[in-house]
Amino acid sequence: MTTRVFRALITFGGLVALAVALSSCDVGGLHPIFPNPVSPNGQDIYNTYLGISVPAIIIFLGVEAALLWVVLRYRRSTQPVGYVPPQVHGNTPLEIVWTIIPLIIVLAIAGYSFVELQKDFQPISNQQMTVIVSGHQFGWNYEYENGVVVHQEGTLAGDVTPFVVPTHTLVKLDFRGTDVIHSWWVPAISGKTDAVPGYDNFSWLKIDQVGTWRGECAELCGVGHSTMQIIVQSMDQSDFNRWMAQQKTASPSASPSASPG
Amino acid sequence: MATTVLPRPKAYDDTFFKPISLWLTTTDHKLIGIMYMVTGILSFVIGGVFALIVRLQLSQPNLKVVDPETYNQLISAHGVTMIFFFVTIFLTGIANYMVPIMIGARDMAFPRVNLLGFWLVPVSILLYYSGFFTGGALNAGWTGYAPLTEKAYNSHSLGVDFWALSIIVWAISGIMASTNFLTTIVALRAPGMKFSRLPLFVWAQISTSILLLVVGAPLAAAMILLEFDRQLGTQFFTTAGRPVLYQHLFWFFGHPEVYIMILPGFGMISEVIPVFARKPIFGYMSMVAALFGIVFLSMTVWAHHMFTVGMNTYVEGFFMLMTMLIAVPTGIKFFNWIATTWWGSVEFTVPMKFAFGFLATFLIGGLTGIYLASVPVDTQLHQSYYVVAHLHYVLFGGSVFTIMAGIYYWFPNITGRMLGRTLGEWNFWTLFIGFNGTFLIMHTLGLEGMPRRIATYANEAWAATNAIITISSFLIAFSVLLLLINIVRSWSSGEIAGNDPWRANTLEWATTSPPPPYNFERVPPVRSFMPLRDLRESGEVAE
Repeated sequence: MTTRVFRALITFGGLVALAVALSSCDVGGLHPIFPNPVSPNGQDIYNTYLGISVPAIIIFLGVEAALLWVVLRYRRSTQPVGYVPPQVHGNTPLEIVWTIIPLIIVLAIAGYSFVELQKDFQPISNQQMTVIVSGHQFGWNYEYENGVVVHQEGTLAGDVTPFVVPTHTLVKLDFRGTDVIHSWWVPAISGKTDAVPGYDNFSWLKIDQVGTWRGECAELCGVGHSTMQIIVQSMDQSDFNRWMAQQKTASPSASPSASPG
Repeated sequence: MATTVLPRPKAYDDTFFKPISLWLTTTDHKLIGIMYMVTGILSFVIGGVFALIVRLQLSQPNLKVVDPETYNQLISAHGVTMIFFFVTIFLTGIANYMVPIMIGARDMAFPRVNLLGFWLVPVSILLYYSGFFTGGALNAGWTGYAPLTEKAYNSHSLGVDFWALSIIVWAISGIMASTNFLTTIVALRAPGMKFSRLPLFVWAQISTSILLLVVGAPLAAAMILLEFDRQLGTQFFTTAGRPVLYQHLFWFFGHPEVYIMILPGFGMISEVIPVFARKPIFGYMSMVAALFGIVFLSMTVWAHHMFTVGMNTYVEGFFMLMTMLIAVPTGIKFFNWIATTWWGSVEFTVPMKFAFGFLATFLIGGLTGIYLASVPVDTQLHQSYYVVAHLHYVLFGGSVFTIMAGIYYWFPNITGRMLGRTLGEWNFWTLFIGFNGTFLIMHTLGLEGMPRRIATYANEAWAATNAIITISSFLIAFSVLLLLINIVRSWSSGEIAGNDPWRANTLEWATTSPPPPYNFERVPPVRSFMPLRDLRESGEVAE
């Protein structure tokens, strides 16, 4: 009996350690959470994920511990010979308790998530810049307000033309679908936004550091799906202005010509 | 309902082989049930082979085991086969066998509808696989989102058309089966078998049938509209039409389908746990109430598959709330199952091991479901390998583990022989380790940004994880092989089970194993929801 309880404690301790390790840091290159977010909406999603993890890990450990306890304590071989279990048919107060407590927990999670939903997913109008992002088989076009278009044609290796944004700028992304449904996803920035034909969709980003971030199309869109790689590059405002001037000279007409596809 | 009773051939009862003419024409719910189950297991093997090829292709970056077009057909065929042709069909089979006998009936209410409903299943399956011979089967995932399935982007083959026809036939078959189950349960219960005494597996089948009746028709409607678009030039879901409408119609079926695939499993677990814990089920009424809570809620959550298409945030909030509320009835069931084993005398037979494996793993699928229900978090996790991991925790850790528990539990009733225990233990542990090895670390791939349904990837950082997943997936295949060997060996030469090998509670064990045609020489009296136990205690049947 004592050795069994001891074994249970060891196993339980191991599970706790594993869960703590998984929730706090990278284990052997496995990432238990998204990449460090660089845009405030991504940061809010990251925090929501962490918030949900608190009750989730507690419930996980509690229920698995209960199962382990049954396995060790109530198996027939550990019970006295001829043991007849109490023929309990239920316990109404107990059943009410384990209805109400989960109800409170999920309402709290839903409320918490809804606040974040209202904060970051409502249409915005205070953007400093708007870019029209349109997906096609198999690449992305980014059309700036001055008519410059970045054609990000897909390659599997991911060496695609970067979509360039200035730092410290609230950029609204308006999504357009031109053929099938695509989904724009750069995990370090924020969640996915679908580009659906005939259906306006939007997202936004605000990056406060210089850098390059990768992503790819997340909605199966045909044979080239895995080649629809995305690179977002953020630059200081002065570098961005220089880059934009180059783009204008490269295509002097600066007309928002349609991509050849 | 019944035609004349034919003289009972010896071969009918207790041997593996029965005359083909009997299989082709039988309206016996047990034989039809067995044919459903065998069809399901064959589909499981076929769908598993598709999955292994997919895993080989993804085991390392930049592989070319198959080309992207073939890859897209394989992932679609894996999903369609497992969801439509394995889990749903197998569960219909086990219900076809068990529901009439558990309520003390002699057959289903409409035996010939049962016969027709079953034979539509191979039609549906053959229709789907015919697509491979028209230049390529469905290649847009099992969800077949428009406009990718529309003629403009998918005209190189008739794969999409054969898939749509196959699903329409499947839906008709499912609606027939559901009608039959509900009528049987309402009209053919034995004397004394009040609704309040129905076994929980039968209650689960009531809720499943209601769900399929409600959502089967919208699924067929979506397929018919898609075919109008493809063949008659309408514009329902085309680039110029409303692609999001397709998603609403599909998921109005698609999400309840998840519960169609798990509620019968919940029912089987509710049968297995009390028998091996030697205690009655804890909270019978709250178990039934929880089933119907899930039925109602599951029809109000479909758009949680669509949080990235850009819906109004209040609409998204509604679907988020309803989705999260499903955790409450599911939690009730979980706590009741654990409470049933508490203070019990728990015997860890193979079915009970699978039941506990189900509890341990399905919990993870339930908890990751909470993350996915949260709209902001879902925009990150949606369409990534996190979702693939989640859905396999629900469908494999959930449905497949319950199916395994059901197979080991009811095999003696179906064949008269025990399903070998040693191979069964191996079967359980290899499946448990292989399953968790495959799908636990898959969560991290999604968090790192690996989308689902990509034919290959260049990112070296994902290579090691994918290699481990592929190796583990072959352990699952090995485990399934053990199951098949065990079934064939035990069916032909296993240990004779006797009528009631588990000292069970319900009527399917109150007759001979295997039961005769028409199930009972004399329908036993029913005085509680554990009629067989009552008979043992009153000495009316031997211990």
